[in-house]
Amino acid sequence: MNTYTALYPILTIVTGALLIILLEVFLKKEKKDYLGFIAVLFLLASGAECIKFWNKGFSYFEGTLLLDKFALFFFLIMILTVIFITLISLKYLSLQHTDHGEYYGLLLFALSGMMIMVSSRDFLVIFLGLEVLSMASYALAGLKRDDERSSEAAIKYFLLGSFASAFLVFGIALLYGAVFSTDISTIMNFFHVETNFSLMALTGMAFIIIGFGFKIAVVPFHMWTPDVYQGSPTPVTAFFSVGPKAAGFAVLMRIFFPFWKEAVNSEIFFHILWILSVLTMVVGNLVALRQKNVKRILAYSSIAHAGYILVAILAGDNSGLLFYLTVYLFMNIGAFSAVIALSRKGKEFLELEDYSGIGFRYPWIGATFTVFLFSLAGFPPTGGFLAKFYIFSSAVHKGLVPLVIIGVLASLISVFYYLRIVIYMYMREPTRNVVIFSYNPALFLVLFLCLYGVLMLGIFPGNILLYIKQAVAPLAF
Amino acid sequence: MAYFLFFLLSVVCIASVLGMIISKNQAYSALFVILAFTCTGGFFALLDAPFIAVIQIIIYAGAIMVLFIFVIMMVDVRKGITPEKKKWTSGFASGIAVILFIELIVALKMAFNPLNTSSSQAIGNPSDLGYLLFTKYLYPFEITSILIITALVGAIILVKKKEKE
Repeated sequence: MNTYTALYPILTIVTGALLIILLEVFLKKEKKDYLGFIAVLFLLASGAECIKFWNKGFSYFEGTLLLDKFALFFFLIMILTVIFITLISLKYLSLQHTDHGEYYGLLLFALSGMMIMVSSRDFLVIFLGLEVLSMASYALAGLKRDDERSSEAAIKYFLLGSFASAFLVFGIALLYGAVFSTDISTIMNFFHVETNFSLMALTGMAFIIIGFGFKIAVVPFHMWTPDVYQGSPTPVTAFFSVGPKAAGFAVLMRIFFPFWKEAVNSEIFFHILWILSVLTMVVGNLVALRQKNVKRILAYSSIAHAGYILVAILAGDNSGLLFYLTVYLFMNIGAFSAVIALSRKGKEFLELEDYSGIGFRYPWIGATFTVFLFSLAGFPPTGGFLAKFYIFSSAVHKGLVPLVIIGVLASLISVFYYLRIVIYMYMREPTRNVVIFSYNPALFLVLFLCLYGVLMLGIFPGNILLYIKQAVAPLAF
Repeated sequence: MAYFLFFLLSVVCIASVLGMIISKNQAYSALFVILAFTCTGGFFALLDAPFIAVIQIIIYAGAIMVLFIFVIMMVDVRKGITPEKKKWTSGFASGIAVILFIELIVALKMAFNPLNTSSSQAIGNPSDLGYLLFTKYLYPFEITSILIITALVGAIILVKKKEKE
């Protein structure tokens, strides 16, 4: 196997993106759906390559391209995410007047950026991957060009994202100034050897936390999230709430797992992350209580979930984190697909009022949406319950009892706003005339697959946990 | 020769910066800035850093200036700043100027390094940089190409003409 073989999964995605952009020019407007199918084809090919590489453990370009099981697991999660997003976008784009064929190309570019991020140990490469992801995201957020909110989302995301990137680069530069390397393991080695307080290196680490804190929407770097999530086209919102978050957490895991073990000055960061986690869980859930728009509720809920996942980072529980991200992928995309299902040409139903009586009028959508909301709230027997259970129990084992108490209380608050949607769907008389466009097979396929995923992970988590155990092994090195 | 060039560049640089401040027309100011940046590029060349010299001219005198000129083109230049705002901005600007001046004095005191001790390390050598770019940093270099095409495609989607219904 040579270096170029190791590039296959990423190269396949980039090739797919370029091909789609090229074909877009030649396809008629009614046939833009084909581009989505081409995207799915390339995604499946890339996924197959990832599975083929599972036991090989490539490391190329001096560690800047690492195809260990950890990276491959994230590749598979992200590829699955983008397949789902592509499928739920097929009809949505033409219904909401956003049928740009390049949409699928941009999605694939964003995916390639995320793959580059998670498969590297080098900050320079991680930063470039993040920028590829961000550039594609800015354009995706503003894709609904007739809608002011969408343009607002794009501009907000672009300005704040550029700020965050600047923080990240500055942090990397400071670390380079202290350590003379951008390689994460060298940096961790420095923190291990250097017993006295190195202000430059620690400031660099703090700036890197700010940069990634923005990407994964941690309070107080979450300000952009509700507006961007609300303004973006709904499938793009679903993508934002899963993809970039998974990538950001993957990098944080690569940084912090060795950091807790090796760094002499790690307590200060432990406290910083502790505070961030508490703030994220509490603020995310409390503000969600007051929202009337379902997209905004889901936006704040995704902020709160970032807080729970930070608990896993603090507890050093890598397998719990991966399991949480896997479940989160199914339940969150499932919830957004249900929201997308409730739309017709030129109109989406997003206010809470619109949902009254939906449970009886569209029983399938109502029932699946309810399951996803239960899972997000953390009820058994769904995957959401087990995911929270694993994270909180490992945190208790690490002695983080106050953090867990706050986390459990915060998730109790969250039950209120998740259940409120369910109450609207089943216990209110319909007040508005909600008629939806219901011929959407790809979307219903995704709804079904997500439902299957959420329930399977909740009842039989054994299989996936086996692979997750293998995936986190390379982190321990 | 180096001394002669140094003083020539210094005089031109200072004169062009003064010209930038004094000239009433923003477009002239922008052109004076280009001249000042080019002179700074010349200083880097004198310090045996040819790559930074070229980059200085391409990035600052080229790319950044285009941005400036675009802004001047879009904003109504003749209106100027309103008096009450002007008081605020000039106060702010003089504050920053004082801070910068103090910084310069500190920098001068801490590391006064005259011209003749230019570092002989070849970090600014273009062929070395090119070699590194295509060997050690090949992977990041290739990712940059993806980054640029993504940005390009994204920008074009957002601004391209709407198709007729």
